[in-house]
Amino acid sequence: MSCNKFFSILIIDSFISLSSNMASARRLKRVVASQPGFLNLKSTSNSADSASGRRKRLNKNKKKSWNKHSDINDVEDFLQDVRHQERTTGGLLSEKSDDSLFFLDVGQPKKPEQKGKASRPLRIDLILQHDSLVPPPKDVLAYQQPNAKKLRRSAQRAEQLAAKGVVPRRRKQLLNRRPVDRTAKKAETEANNNPGREYYDIWGQECDAADPWYLQQTRKSLVKRPERLNEKPSVLPAVEVIAPGGSYNPDFFSHQALLQEAHEVEVKKQKDENKIERQLAVNREDTATEETILQEQVEGLVEEEENEEETAAPKGEEEDVAVGAITLAAKKTERQRKRERAIKIKEQQRLANKQQTDHRQQLFQLRSIKASIKQQDQKTKTRQRQRKDNQEAQKAQPRRLGKLKFQPQDMEVQLSDELAGSLRRLKPEGSVLKDRFKSLQKRNLIEPRERAKFKRRHKLKYVEKRAFREIT
Amino acid sequence: MGGLQKKKYERGSATNYITRNKARKKLSLSLPDFRRLCILKGIYPHEPKHKKKVNKGSTAARTFYLLKDIRFLLHEPIVGKFRAYKIFVRKLKRAYGKTEWSAVERLKENKPTYKLDHIIKERYPSFIDALRDIDDALCMSFLFSTFARTGKCHVQTIQLCRRLTVEWMNFVIASRGLRKVFISIKGIYYQAEAMGQLITWLVPYQFSHDHPTDVDYRVMATFTEMYTTLLGFVNFRLYHSLNLLYPPKERLVKLSALSASLARVVSSAEEEEAELDQFPTEGEDMEKMETMEKEQKLIEAQKKLFQGLKFFLNREVPRESLAFVIRCFGGEVSWDKSVCIGSMYEATDETITHQIVDRPSIDKQYINRYYIQPQWVYDCVNAKILLPVEDYFLGVTLPPHLSPFVEEKEGDYVPPEKLKIMALQRGEKPDEDEDDEEEEEEEEEEDDDNDNEEEEDEEEEAEEKNLKKMEKQKSQGKSLQVKVTPGKMKVEDKTRLDQEEKAEEKRLAIMMMKKKEKYLYDKIMFGKKRKVREANKLAAKRKAHDDAEKSKKKKTRK
Repeated sequence: MSCNKFFSILIIDSFISLSSNMASARRLKRVVASQPGFLNLKSTSNSADSASGRRKRLNKNKKKSWNKHSDINDVEDFLQDVRHQERTTGGLLSEKSDDSLFFLDVGQPKKPEQKGKASRPLRIDLILQHDSLVPPPKDVLAYQQPNAKKLRRSAQRAEQLAAKGVVPRRRKQLLNRRPVDRTAKKAETEANNNPGREYYDIWGQECDAADPWYLQQTRKSLVKRPERLNEKPSVLPAVEVIAPGGSYNPDFFSHQALLQEAHEVEVKKQKDENKIERQLAVNREDTATEETILQEQVEGLVEEEENEEETAAPKGEEEDVAVGAITLAAKKTERQRKRERAIKIKEQQRLANKQQTDHRQQLFQLRSIKASIKQQDQKTKTRQRQRKDNQEAQKAQPRRLGKLKFQPQDMEVQLSDELAGSLRRLKPEGSVLKDRFKSLQKRNLIEPRERAKFKRRHKLKYVEKRAFREIT
Repeated sequence: MGGLQKKKYERGSATNYITRNKARKKLSLSLPDFRRLCILKGIYPHEPKHKKKVNKGSTAARTFYLLKDIRFLLHEPIVGKFRAYKIFVRKLKRAYGKTEWSAVERLKENKPTYKLDHIIKERYPSFIDALRDIDDALCMSFLFSTFARTGKCHVQTIQLCRRLTVEWMNFVIASRGLRKVFISIKGIYYQAEAMGQLITWLVPYQFSHDHPTDVDYRVMATFTEMYTTLLGFVNFRLYHSLNLLYPPKERLVKLSALSASLARVVSSAEEEEAELDQFPTEGEDMEKMETMEKEQKLIEAQKKLFQGLKFFLNREVPRESLAFVIRCFGGEVSWDKSVCIGSMYEATDETITHQIVDRPSIDKQYINRYYIQPQWVYDCVNAKILLPVEDYFLGVTLPPHLSPFVEEKEGDYVPPEKLKIMALQRGEKPDEDEDDEEEEEEEEEEDDDNDNEEEEDEEEEAEEKNLKKMEKQKSQGKSLQVKVTPGKMKVEDKTRLDQEEKAEEKRLAIMMMKKKEKYLYDKIMFGKKRKVREANKLAAKRKAHDDAEKSKKKKTRK
């Protein structure tokens, strides 16, 4: 029987040794042996047997029957107790020192007053907390290395090769790789208006020596810019210097000349305005007088009969005319036809004769003909020249590039009393920004445009709010 | 008569043009993007010759582009970037709407940007091309650099413009390239020479902006974007042409003071004047060469106009402009410490030669320096000589500031102030007294007039003289007065003889003219005479005006 017990303990032992480390297992064995209740097991089993009455016969040559019929409850209880102790206190109570088990009760220590429950951990955290004092077992597999042997061998070989000076292929590839240009990417993300941006010699560097055919096929070379685009759309200079009268301290006459010019512009504007006003004005005769209003009101009430008669009369006439037109076509006689034909032939002959004589006469008019040809040539030449001049003049003019015509800027002018005597008191006239903008338009670089107007898609609704209505 | 009927508007000019909207759709861009692309690539709308044909029978005014231009635009890599940017904006908006801040961060990091370098290279294949088109770029950059940070454009753009303009001014100073300055009511016009190109630009006065509403800021910003890129590359090249480092090492604030020179070591080679190469030439070429040499000498002299002078700017004068102009001609300049960084010396410095003041009077005056108004500096630059300072003293009514961009032709009216300056340039010294000066002026005017008249009358006079001589000879021949007198040495005035010969030649040439040419010649001469008459009229008017002024002054004095 004792032998049986021993086996069962060994089984447990082996089980423990699997699950926990060797040191603790050994300690457990020792503990089990030293327990006073160890021998008592027999008595309890005996009592159980006696209770059943008859002793059970069992085969003891098989491990299976041992497992089946031996009663190990007491051992398990004991071990449960041990494990419980280990879990809760971190070791066996019997091994603990007295100091760690007992304490001197001096009453409740005074707690500092805590406000609220802020310091208490959440219940969920408490549930999830690891409450056992036994450390978790180590994962043995974590210390094992798969293919350790193979790796070791390959490392050895690599060492040998390195000693010989042979560089492995992968390493070679790495070394041969082009270094990554970190700055290139940074430069690419840099905005165009970055105040600290770098510039380089754009005209100095020669293009790559790569095959142009390759570049073209891979779309790496840019399409050639047509020559036509390098011509400027206007012959005007980029910066038109203001007339000498625009000096801050101008010469008297140049200032007067500039004023005169500005005056003329203004007069022209006024004239145009007046013209439009005149065209838009309502004609006096078209306005309704009392007489015409009355006439309109009684229209159709008086003189109705007369009108009817008048309208009836011409209707009949029209019908007569229409009938007459149809009946007029009469058949020609044979004689008439013959005569007409003869007249026609005669006329043709006459014309032919005349042409012939004219041709003959031209021989004697050679000089005048020559003169007229010369004159015509002269005329075409002058016209050609004129056209060319016009074209030249047009080049300096702003073209019509859009809906709106180019409107020149108001002239910058200071009147005689506005002129500042010194640079300090000078009041700048006009805006350079506008000047530049208009210059771009004048040189046909951009089309003249109006500022887009804000269009309300839906009509605004006005609603009196209740609060407002209450007051009023 | 067979064949298919030709359809209208399927050949000819109708197929060469494309409307703006169609072009926009072809490129699948929004209108602002399309506009920006056109500006960047330098593709401008085109006015067709026969609008009705192009517009398929309609006469409505539309914006047309050449179809080939739009086809060219299709190849531009930036178009793809524009499309990507559109999607980026859409994504960003969505992320903002959903308050996904991490997505916003990520998107912003990967914001699509584009470069204009290849476009610059394409539009300006050589450096000189770029330099010819730099006027616009300078104007725009100077304009944007004076903008306040009001959100009308990006602050970064303003900063970049400021940087580029300051670098440009420093280059002009280093190369001593400035030629003309004109202070107008609009702004200050400068003209400089760089690599043989005359470059004009306009600088607005500071703090003079009322943002006009009828200007499309987006268009202007696009132009500026292109021009800043261009100006940067041009600056780089120009700096390297002077063996200077680009970008300059000093900080922008210090650079913008314009007081220190860029080059660390002033090279001695620069001092040596590069002389024009001499070529064996003949006739007209010789004359041209001579004039060129003269001009070169003048320019060399102008470059050293303010050399050795020491200026001090009072706080009420425009510092940047004056410092720029003075330093361009080799002067030293400083200002009060509280005005700006980079002042070289104090107002108490004894070696200062000129102090520029723009107030009616000043309390403490040093005896060894001139107190002058700022216009003196500009007028000196335009006249290419140091003008007498008396006219520009404190509180004195200034002589008019003439435009250096006006070039008078022969026979045009020239204001007396300009005549005076021209006389000074020739080296004639005016008398000290004011009245005398005026008189001289008048004399000069008269002389000038007489000269002009003489020129025209020369031929006639010559003719008359010849006729008289002939008559005399004839009469002498008829009266047989035989008399022997002791011989006199004929004093032959060689110059006079030459002149006579020339006049004779001219007269003969006129006589030999064809009728047609003669007609033309008479016309030209008539035009010239009319011009002279007008000029005389103006001069007379001016004299009357001056007299009236003088009498007024006298009255006020009394």
